[in-house]
Amino acid sequence: MNKLSLKIKKTIKNSYTGWLFNLPLAIGLAVFTFVPVVISLYDSFFQYDGLNVRVWAGLGNYARIFTKDRDMNKVVINTLVYTAVSIPINLVASYFLALLVNNTMKGVTAYRVFYYLPCMIPAVAGGLLWADMFDGTYGVFNKILGFFGLGPYRFFRYEDMRALLSVFIMNLWGVGGGMILWISAFKNIGKHYYEAAKLDGANAWHRLVHITVPMSSAMIFYNIITSVIGTLQYNGTLTFGSRNGRGEENALYMYAVKIYYEAFERGKIGYASALAWIMLVVIAVITAVMFKTSSWVFYAEEN
Amino acid sequence: MENVSRSARTKKTAVNVSLYLLMTLVAAVLLFPYAFMVSKSLMTSEEVVDPKIRFLPAAPQLANYLKLFGSGSGYASGLLHTLAIVGFNCVVVPLSASFIAFSFAKLKWTGRNFMFAVMLGTMMLPGVLTQLSLYSIYVKFNWINTLYPFTIPNLFGGGALYIFLIRQFMLGIPRDMDNAAKIDGANAFIRYLKIVLPLCKPVLVYVIVNVFISYWGDYYGPLVYMRASSAPKTMAQVVFESALEENAATYNANIRMCGGVVMSLVPAALFAVFQKQLIEGVVMTGLKD
Repeated sequence: MNKLSLKIKKTIKNSYTGWLFNLPLAIGLAVFTFVPVVISLYDSFFQYDGLNVRVWAGLGNYARIFTKDRDMNKVVINTLVYTAVSIPINLVASYFLALLVNNTMKGVTAYRVFYYLPCMIPAVAGGLLWADMFDGTYGVFNKILGFFGLGPYRFFRYEDMRALLSVFIMNLWGVGGGMILWISAFKNIGKHYYEAAKLDGANAWHRLVHITVPMSSAMIFYNIITSVIGTLQYNGTLTFGSRNGRGEENALYMYAVKIYYEAFERGKIGYASALAWIMLVVIAVITAVMFKTSSWVFYAEEN
Repeated sequence: MENVSRSARTKKTAVNVSLYLLMTLVAAVLLFPYAFMVSKSLMTSEEVVDPKIRFLPAAPQLANYLKLFGSGSGYASGLLHTLAIVGFNCVVVPLSASFIAFSFAKLKWTGRNFMFAVMLGTMMLPGVLTQLSLYSIYVKFNWINTLYPFTIPNLFGGGALYIFLIRQFMLGIPRDMDNAAKIDGANAFIRYLKIVLPLCKPVLVYVIVNVFISYWGDYYGPLVYMRASSAPKTMAQVVFESALEENAATYNANIRMCGGVVMSLVPAALFAVFQKQLIEGVVMTGLKD
C-alpha cells in the first residue's frame, strides 16, 4: 500500500518535471499553431480582411475558388507543371553532378564546396541577381547570347510557358543541394556492388538504374515527399517575377503566391484561408497516395 | 609489358585531365552568376548600362559599398534590424529547443509520446495555413510592423525540426553520465544545464548556423508582418524591395548588386567555416526516418 502510493507519487513527480520542461512547447504549439489553424478554418467561411468584422459567407469562398475565380486554371496548371517538372530535373541533374565528383581525386572536396555554394545564397539575393541577368535589354545572358547571334529573350517576362522554363534553368544553379544527398547515398552503398558491376561491364547508366536507385530508394522516396510538399508551396517567384511574382499574364502565377496575393495585397484573409485549406487537403492526399504506392521503396536492414 | 603499362598510365592521365576540365567547367558555370554579381557591384553607373558585354569594371568602385550603407539608403538600418533578429534567435532557439528536447530524450513522463507525435505532426502543416491567422492575431497583439513576430514565438522552441534533431543527438549521449549526476542528487535542470547541454555542442552549432542563415535571408516574413513604410525593415526586405523598383536593370543596378553581395557573403562565409557540420546536417535531416 505504502509502496504503491510511493510509486504513484514518484510517477507524478517525474511527470511534473517532464511537463515542466515541455511546457514551452505546449504553450507555443497551442498559441502559434493550433489556435491559428482553427481560426483559419473558421475564417475560410467568412469574408474577412484580418482587421474588421467577419461577414458570413458559408461555402461561398470555396465555391468561388472552384467556379468563378478566373486565375485558378492558370495557377493550378502552373503549380502542377512546376512540381512535376522541377523535381525530376533536380533529381537527375544532381545525380550526374554527384557522379562527377564521386571520386578520390586531389582537390575534389573543393569542387564539391563550389557546387554547393549557390545553395547558400539567400533566395532574395538570387532573385535580384537572376532578374538582373535575365533582363530583356541589359541582362548579361542576352548580351552573351547576342554574341552568338541569338535572342534577345525575355525569360521571366514571357507571357507563356517560356517564363516557367526560365525558372527551371535558374533552378539548375541550386543542384548542389541534391548532389550532397546523392554523395551520402553512394557512401552508404557497399563499394563491392559497384566493383562487381564494373567487372561485368556496367556503364554509369546501368549502375544508376540497377544499384544506386534501388539501394538508395528510401532516401529518394523521402526526398520526393519533402520536395513535393515544398514545391507545391513554392513562392520564390515573388523575388524575381514581375507583377508581384505573378509574371506577365500570370505566366508565373503559382498557388502559394496566389494565397499571398489574395491575403496581403487584396486584404482577403477569408478567401486566402479557404485557398490554404484546399492546399492542405491536396498535400495530405498526395502524400497519402505516395505512401500507399511506395512498394518500390527498398529499406535496407540497418547494420 | 612496359609499353602496355605506359599506355595505360597515359590513358589514366588523359581521363584525369578531362575529368578535371569537366569539373572546372561545371564549377565555372555554377559560380559565374555570383562572380558576375560581385563584378557588377564594383562597376560605375555608366558601365552598368553599357550595351557591350562587360564582365569586369575598368576600375573597381569600392565606394559603391559606402554608398550602399550611406545615409538615407535604408540598408544600414536594415542590417541593424536583421542583426537584432538574428542575434536574439541564435541565443534563444538553441536554448529553448534543447530545453524541450531534454524532456523528450532524458525524462520519463506520462504524455511524452503523445506530445512528441503532436510535435512531429505539426511539421506537415503548410506554413501559410497558420500565417494567415497569425497575421490577424498579431494585429490584436499590436505586433504588426514590429520585430516581435520574428522573435517572441521562438521562446517556445523555435520549430519542431530543431527540437527533433537535438533530441536525436541527446539520445546518443550515454545514460551513465546522466545517472551518475542523478545519484549525486542533481535535479533535472542541473543535469540539463551542466551535463547534457555542453555535450550537445555539435548539434547546437548546426542549429545556430541554420537559424542564422534562415533569419538572415527571410524576406517573406517581413513581407507579411511588416508592410508599413514606417516598419523596422530587415536587410532582406530592403534588398527585396529594391529589386521591385521600376528600371531595376539600369538605375542604381550597381548599388543594388552591392546589397545582393552583402546578403550572399555572410552565409557563404558561415558555410566556409562550418562546412562539415552543415553538410552532415543536410544529410542527417535528409536521411532520418
